[in-house]
Amino acid sequence: MLLDWKMKITQMPVYLQVNNTRSEDSASAELQIGTALPFPGGRSCDDYLFYKFASMLALVLALFPFVLPVKQVLAQSVAFAIEEIAPGNYVHYGSYADRSPQNFGDNANVGFIVGDTCVLVFDSGGSFAVGQALRNAIRSVTDKPVCYVVISHVHPDHFFGTAAFLAEEPEIIGHENLPLQLAARGRHYEMTLARDLGDASEGSRIVLPTKTLAAGTTMTVALGGRDVEIRAWAPAHTDNDLSVIDLSTSTLWLGDLLFVDHTPILDSNITGFLAVMKELRELHIRHYIPGHGRSDLPWPQVMDPQQRYFELILTETRQAIRDNVRLMDAVNQIGYSQAQNWVNFETYHRRNVTTAYTELEWE
Amino acid sequence: MKLRTTLFSALFLGLYVTAHANPNPEPDHTKIPEWAVIKDLMFGDRVINPDDREVIRVYLNTRADDAATVPVMINGLIDQSPTDYIKTMYVIVDRNPIPTAGIFRFTPDSGRVKMETRLRFEQYSFVRAVAELNDGRLYMSQRWVKAAGGCSAPMGKNVAADSMGKMRFRVDDQVEYDKPMLIELQVRHPNESALASDLDPDHVPQFVRNVNVDYNGDPVMSGEVNYSLSDNPVFRFYFVPRAEGDLNVKVEDTHDSVYTQSMRVSEEDGVAAQ
Ligand SMILES: [Zn+2]
Repeated sequence: MLLDWKMKITQMPVYLQVNNTRSEDSASAELQIGTALPFPGGRSCDDYLFYKFASMLALVLALFPFVLPVKQVLAQSVAFAIEEIAPGNYVHYGSYADRSPQNFGDNANVGFIVGDTCVLVFDSGGSFAVGQALRNAIRSVTDKPVCYVVISHVHPDHFFGTAAFLAEEPEIIGHENLPLQLAARGRHYEMTLARDLGDASEGSRIVLPTKTLAAGTTMTVALGGRDVEIRAWAPAHTDNDLSVIDLSTSTLWLGDLLFVDHTPILDSNITGFLAVMKELRELHIRHYIPGHGRSDLPWPQVMDPQQRYFELILTETRQAIRDNVRLMDAVNQIGYSQAQNWVNFETYHRRNVTTAYTELEWE
Repeated sequence: MKLRTTLFSALFLGLYVTAHANPNPEPDHTKIPEWAVIKDLMFGDRVINPDDREVIRVYLNTRADDAATVPVMINGLIDQSPTDYIKTMYVIVDRNPIPTAGIFRFTPDSGRVKMETRLRFEQYSFVRAVAELNDGRLYMSQRWVKAAGGCSAPMGKNVAADSMGKMRFRVDDQVEYDKPMLIELQVRHPNESALASDLDPDHVPQFVRNVNVDYNGDPVMSGEVNYSLSDNPVFRFYFVPRAEGDLNVKVEDTHDSVYTQSMRVSEEDGVAAQ
């Protein structure tokens, strides 16, 4: 079950629109937040059934982009709904579809935590436009300043919106390995974002963290009335993963340390990822936000599918290496019993096996 | 040759910056502007026999999933005999910053010519293998690879300083004299890409530039390589042991570090790293 209907949807979904006419103002002026719904007729915020229908339709659209007639209606606007999944913790769930000018690279789950004095943003989204939409969503909830932007890791669907928050001069917090990774990959990321989004990538750029955290350390920040713990991990999904816990509600923001339904991605270290998951399981958590996907399974059972996936890759890759199966063949043999369990399996699975193989061949 | 490689590097950095990346369908491999330049520089007006698949052949998966680690297998299809053998194998990635990913030299004693390794692709590109026979004839095989960003990917595997240059062999323990024996050589090395620039502008990227393999002093295989190879470079190739002896490997990188490793080979005792 992808959607948790029990969750309270506190916000009227806001829609990000691209104006065809260019104004003299900054790039951001091209993007306006409206409440125009791509469905006929107005609906009240309390119309539960409507939201159920709308969310379901959004999901269908995300999963089946070939549903053409409605997709054309949506072509000019992207839903930017937020949900308060725990008091003061607001999530926007990203799409599974490939990034495109239509969805502005809105692929990762992003969100924010609101305190009495400050807001903390957890990931800024896949483009300046998404960051802007997120900022507007924050403003629809509170007028408290954004004091912190936490970048969960180096992947572009998580950080390209950071520039949208610079006017508020937040502390930008990243893992100690993040600056080096941004330096290495940044140019390629900017190039491919422009290629995939075209004009919709406008304003997106690399923003370096103003504060970094060493692996294995934590840092607590006060938002007023609530404290938030930021933790830097040893290499797992990437070598620069951060997570955040809102201590007042036991809400864990995982970034890509947890994938639900979307194929988990391994970009660093498979034994490290499994070790980090083991540690995460010990945490006493009431609410959680994966980097991709959503679930209403309890913690930590929600991690089981991802754990089974990586354990299978680990076992089968070790065996392949023992059997002298070359990498070229191993990527076509390992882990396919999991193919039906995950969205976008074809896109990411072989790369995961490659990463695991090149790590494990040195054991 | 080092000078030539540097020249390629300078030349293609320019092309790299200006080339636009939208070549979704496979283009005509004879009409690649980068290749025209490479061909001219490396082979002048010598005739390169097109992909006849009887001398040399490039194998890849149809999908490249990790642009920083694309496995390729290049097989020589003729028997290596003292009168007719593949002397040199040029591995070229048209659109990489240094297009000559590797220049590998073989001998009649290689038994069969094979090179399996892993390449980085910075842009969608052809990978070509040109075989030069002992009489100078040239044959080419090529495959189109849709993978990009491999040279900008980080050397994030974090090779610890104490394991730097460590080498391993993976071989079949059954040794039979006078029969080709498949060797896999793994080298622990970040093989730093010049494109994945450090924050420190004075840092000279440290990558493997030479690998030399001999058996009791006789050359088996040698390669001039660079950061078009993935981190922790891997080489799979054949050699023919004629008698008991030592297979010796020497690897040099751009920081002039030299790493060596040997393996004892005998019919009686199989193989043993030394
Ligand atoms: Zn990620």
